[in-house]
Amino acid sequence: MEFPIIVASVIVVSLYVNLGIALYGIFARPSLVKKLLAITILSDTANAFAVLVGYRWPRTGTPQPPVLMNTTNYNESIKYYVEHAVDPLPQALVLTAIVIGLAVTLFIAFIIIQYYRLHGTVDVRKTKALSR
Amino acid sequence: MKKSEVCVIVSIIIFIFSLAYITSLGGLGYLPPVDVRKLAQIYLSSTYNPFEPTNTSSGYESVTAIVWDFRGLDTFFETAVFYGAIIASIAVYRGVSISTKKKPIGMSPIAKTITRLSTVLIPTVAASIAFHGHLTPGGGFQAGSVATVVIVLIVMVFGLRKVILKGLTKPKILLLRSLGLVGIGLTAIGLVLAGLVIGVNAYIFQNQAKPIAHISYPMWIDDILVGGSLLLFNLFEFVAVMAGFALVLMLFSIEEEEVRKVIK
Repeated sequence: MEFPIIVASVIVVSLYVNLGIALYGIFARPSLVKKLLAITILSDTANAFAVLVGYRWPRTGTPQPPVLMNTTNYNESIKYYVEHAVDPLPQALVLTAIVIGLAVTLFIAFIIIQYYRLHGTVDVRKTKALSR
Repeated sequence: MKKSEVCVIVSIIIFIFSLAYITSLGGLGYLPPVDVRKLAQIYLSSTYNPFEPTNTSSGYESVTAIVWDFRGLDTFFETAVFYGAIIASIAVYRGVSISTKKKPIGMSPIAKTITRLSTVLIPTVAASIAFHGHLTPGGGFQAGSVATVVIVLIVMVFGLRKVILKGLTKPKILLLRSLGLVGIGLTAIGLVLAGLVIGVNAYIFQNQAKPIAHISYPMWIDDILVGGSLLLFNLFEFVAVMAGFALVLMLFSIEEEEVRKVIK
């Protein structure tokens, strides 16, 4: 098996493991803080998946980041760039997703802190008992 | 382990294996792919293409070109979501004030000296990331996040009260954030306004000239590639992201007893 395929397979398997851990954290852990941590793992896994789908291993040479680096002969360099650069679109989407994710995570963290101040716990089972 | 917990774990394992099986059938395609999709080829070839002047963006960096030019309107609304979350966070702390009568509590002189050095170094790196956003990996989002680090560091090392006494108050940061947002808005409609004045067609979020809109932001100044609207967007986003995150992280460091006064 070729080296890039082995690396891609290892990454895909580890991302699935991450996905499993994140889903377990969200569904099974009673603590809201652990749920938040699991949500961040889930979003990072989704982002890494998106970047992986946009990756490439060209037929000749090695992959290039989506930045035009050779600016001497534009005709040749743009042709080489299109043939070797990885997909920039998932990276662009992930870039904004990370920043928005951070802002939303901060907001959820605020809510959890406020929840703790009001109820004295972040355990959802205990809150269920409180509401009775 | 409870029966319900076992059920959850088994369900998750079944779900993950089903998802992995479905994607292995071709959901993600051949990994890693040899070619990129047609859309990506168009983006890559028109990031900087002097041979197609009406179909090009104005930077060497494709991600920034997509974020602020090809899909600029998307990013604008994504930025709106970002500020929605920031505003919601501020709303949770409504009415909480910080008493500056008490003595500021800080860390050791070693930590303070290191932080003083960092207040020059970190913003320099952040500014470099923002100014080079259209040439090298980076841009306004990343630069803003880097610059926030120094504000958090100052708050942690010198204490929040000291920062407020020095004049970095909540209204001032809110003003800075609003200036960044107004800058993004004005850059988006800048060519439309210029077009109205001189009487030519122009689009919202237009950067370079288009077939029926022959007006553009300057791509080159002397022999320096300035990236047209990309540079302006990156700079304003840098300011706005820095101010937004700094504000929220400063709210995080308010003392518990100050917040408890508001909660009844």
